[in-house]
Amino acid sequence: MGKISKKQMSLSNRIFYIFNTVFWILVMLIILYPLYLVCIASVSDPDAIVRGEVIWHPVDFSLIGYKAVFKYKELWSSYVNSIFYTFTGVVISIVVTLAGAYSLSRPKFFGKAVINMFFVFTMFFGGGLIPTFLVMRDLHLYNTRWVVILMGCVSVWNLMVARTYIQNSIPDDLYEAAMLDGASHFQYFGKVVVPLSKTIIAVLAVYYGVAKWNDYFTGLVYLRDRKLYPLQTILREILATLQVDKTGDFMMSMAENSASMQEAIRIANVSKYCIIVVATGPVVLLYAFMQKYFEKGVMIGSLKG
Amino acid sequence: MSGKGKNKVRIPKKKQSLGVILRNNWQLYVLVLPAILYFIFFHYLPLYGIQIAFKDYKAVLGIQGSEWVGLKHFKAFFNAYYFRRLLTNTFLLNVYYLLWSFPVPLILAILLNQIRGERKKRFIQTSIYVPYFISTVVLAGMLYIFLSPTSGILNFARAALGLKAIDFMSNAGAFRSIYIISGIWQSAGYGTILYIATLAGIDLSLYEAAEIDGASIWQKIRYIDLPSLVPTAMMVFILDCGKMLSSDTNKALVMQTPGNIPTSDIIGVYVYNVGLGSGQFSYTAAIGLFVNIINFILIITVNKLSQKTTDVGLF
Repeated sequence: MGKISKKQMSLSNRIFYIFNTVFWILVMLIILYPLYLVCIASVSDPDAIVRGEVIWHPVDFSLIGYKAVFKYKELWSSYVNSIFYTFTGVVISIVVTLAGAYSLSRPKFFGKAVINMFFVFTMFFGGGLIPTFLVMRDLHLYNTRWVVILMGCVSVWNLMVARTYIQNSIPDDLYEAAMLDGASHFQYFGKVVVPLSKTIIAVLAVYYGVAKWNDYFTGLVYLRDRKLYPLQTILREILATLQVDKTGDFMMSMAENSASMQEAIRIANVSKYCIIVVATGPVVLLYAFMQKYFEKGVMIGSLKG
Repeated sequence: MSGKGKNKVRIPKKKQSLGVILRNNWQLYVLVLPAILYFIFFHYLPLYGIQIAFKDYKAVLGIQGSEWVGLKHFKAFFNAYYFRRLLTNTFLLNVYYLLWSFPVPLILAILLNQIRGERKKRFIQTSIYVPYFISTVVLAGMLYIFLSPTSGILNFARAALGLKAIDFMSNAGAFRSIYIISGIWQSAGYGTILYIATLAGIDLSLYEAAEIDGASIWQKIRYIDLPSLVPTAMMVFILDCGKMLSSDTNKALVMQTPGNIPTSDIIGVYVYNVGLGSGQFSYTAAIGLFVNIINFILIITVNKLSQKTTDVGLF
């Protein structure tokens, strides 16, 4: 298809392209501006932010917010917790999901339909928050690291996506050849399926990883000990409140490093932006590398298994 | 031809490997066992624990030992003065969200498809997915910051226009709009993926034929793009309908302030606040069960409807 020069283009098409360009500039602004604003505000002077001067670029460049955030110990210990929860959780999730998906992908697997129903049913009917909470308490998982790691460990949706992938992209001939050679399911799974599933492993890592990193609710409900809190549960206390002075420990930490309460509130105003950058930056960066797999997950999911 | 040849080879192969398959089959159960255990402990045990909705749960007596009280908690909930408010709030939040958020990815996908230049298109796609990766807490945090009556950018803009500042997050009338708009901002990009894939699958010769007939872009969208998207869109819409009462409790919870309670008090948030906050386990478990039953009925109905109209079914 050659490029159509402007002369050849009809008036209505030209109007369309003008409209479309304006439309996308607006959409890009709506999507990117809030993120941009957070970034420039994080390196601006708190007074300039409160006066409403930070709109297009940083004003009175200052790293005072980042310095305060850097000294906020609880944030960093929760950060380390989150890295641990996310890493461990994702590894366990991928192993369990892939193994289950492989079994379900085998056509001759007695009881497959029943097991399938067993999984799918949980998508439509669950115990709900309170019974789950009581069961976790009875299982002595309440206030342990395990509850954060294991909650949401297998998603039925991801299980089905992985199964569809294994069914569609690993040729059956490989299976027959391996079985003729006397391979067991363990061997075939470990030596053929896993190495050929790099794509789906990446897809699972993106979806499980983002869900785990961004989850504040599990920490809020199932943890009592603040030392075990994941990052997002701590962030909730700092970010999701109306008044700065009601954020407890966060303000305490800010106050420790400043001369007066007023100064602490001043720094807290800019620190919020810095915290958003620090908490969200890694996820967005990771996304930049994994974008291909992010799209793929939706596409494989839309195929009927 | 080649298929026939394959069949010939396969028949003896099957017989040979049957013994191997049987001997090895236990390994398939071992491989699927961890997933089964997860669902037993994290889904089926809580399902068993749902019986406390019909009991008066006492921690010392445990789930099984507590005393049966029948439908007491359900009756109390249906007769509570806030019952209608909770139900209305939950229902309206979901209906409005569905109606407003559904068309956006569709429009975005169609217009994105008309962008000329692969690099521009790629850049836009990469950008519109980014909000999906932002956590609920950070999203709510951004709302609190940007909508703040004293230092929020939106109120600075209002001041520039000579309008009075509004404390949006404490405003019951604004809660649903904020919830819906921020939800669209966060997930509309993600929603386009499926539609873009559908559009990419359209036969190019259709467009070429339309061009020869002198069709404008508007006409191509109207007569080629839209009809091709209908089946996918129908499926998405019907699936969304099945989630009518299960709005994003996590997000509403972090957006709730004393000021917006009249509209932000939805069933999920109420269950969290009263169940875990004041320890009324049995009562809130009953409310949770009520929601689950309604959602289940909705999903079954919607699935039937879907099978009838589009031949797409979940089960």
